Amino acid sequence: MNPLIWTGLGLGTLFGFALQRGRFCMNSAFRDILLMRDFTVFKAVAAAILIQMVGFEVLALTGVITLSPKPLLWGANIVGGLLFGVGMVVAGGCASGITYRVGEGMVGAMSAVLGFSLAGLATSAGLLNPIATYLQTSTKVMTADDKSLTLANVLGLPHYVVAFGLAAIIILLWLFFALRNREEGYDMGKASLGESIFKRGWGWLAAGIVIGLIGIAAFPLSSATGRSYPLGITGGWVGIEKTIVTGENAISWEALLVIGVVLGAAIAALIAGEFKLRAPAPAVLMQTFAGGLLMGFGAVTAGGCNIGHILSGVPQLSVGSIVSGLSIIAGAWITGYLLFMRPEQAPAPQPLVSSSARPAGD
Amino acid sequence: MQATIIPTKTLDVRGEICPYPDVNTMTTLKQMNKGEILEILVDYPMSVERIPRSAKKSGHKVLAVERVDGPNHRILIEAFGLK
Repeated sequence: MNPLIWTGLGLGTLFGFALQRGRFCMNSAFRDILLMRDFTVFKAVAAAILIQMVGFEVLALTGVITLSPKPLLWGANIVGGLLFGVGMVVAGGCASGITYRVGEGMVGAMSAVLGFSLAGLATSAGLLNPIATYLQTSTKVMTADDKSLTLANVLGLPHYVVAFGLAAIIILLWLFFALRNREEGYDMGKASLGESIFKRGWGWLAAGIVIGLIGIAAFPLSSATGRSYPLGITGGWVGIEKTIVTGENAISWEALLVIGVVLGAAIAALIAGEFKLRAPAPAVLMQTFAGGLLMGFGAVTAGGCNIGHILSGVPQLSVGSIVSGLSIIAGAWITGYLLFMRPEQAPAPQPLVSSSARPAGD
Repeated sequence: MQATIIPTKTLDVRGEICPYPDVNTMTTLKQMNKGEILEILVDYPMSVERIPRSAKKSGHKVLAVERVDGPNHRILIEAFGLK
């Protein structure tokens, strides 16, 4: 075993800490846009992607890393991405979301992770593998010299021109819109620097920047172990599941990263006083497990989850990651609409509401 | 905050997964009359921050966000009366 894989545990702990403090979850990021017209978490995701787009490119230009965008497997990207998107809304969290919430003590996230890693292993090496393999091999499209399609080679431009150019355009557009409509949130009151870091939830920009920097650090650290790719979650859980089930050592840098995420989130939640073992109703536990199953099949079929594709693949300009990312968003929106918006138009049942006239503060 | 606010309704969403605390809160607020007060008991950190934000955006008045213990919070919101 390469001793350098232990850097995964260290970086994972930081990543988990940042995910928990930053409430960084792509399920919320995409779903909240549709459901609540709330762009807060989405802006954190966008900031992390932009920082990595620039950071990866600088590391590649200076020869520290070799970019490794995932190939376009359009059928697998679309089917896997859609199912992953459906699954994450049903499970109540994306791959990184359910992972960090295990560290917060959320039992619903634990059952989602069980479903996710089980279906992930079944799809990468078990009963479901033929479906994924068929979709992947029959819809693979590469460049003439057998490279992964990227926005750069599709446009016929140097990679750094597209990466820096795209980042600059998005930042300018963003500033333009941000200056036009300023949003006012609810003011939680003043806090010291220590409180802001360890006790309060981070603002979207801080969360996006810290997670972007962690993603940039991930690339060379992971490459040093022979895994030339930045952050990922799916491969880690599948490796852990495989090691447990088969006894074969499949603990990679990514698996230690995942264990680190759980640890880091637990540390962050404990310091902030947010750790609590809590479980929803049994039916909801089954729901999150089922959502996890869909996510596991979807992520392995598509060749990555929201982290592998959206956080790590889009900054490398991979067309496959962009197709997967858009499919994940589409799946999340369809499911968000069916689960949460359509029922609101019908007369809503109110099983959880009770009338009370007791004085507050009892 | 005044200790004498008497909530009209209480919504206990402790233990619920994302985004049920938010969805249940907003649906309940929509069905309440102007001036009625909803008390929300919530332990999901993301929703503790997001519920006041969404409620404010929909025109409701956030009266208090109090930490009870650990992640358990109590939020008081006065309905705008969207019914």
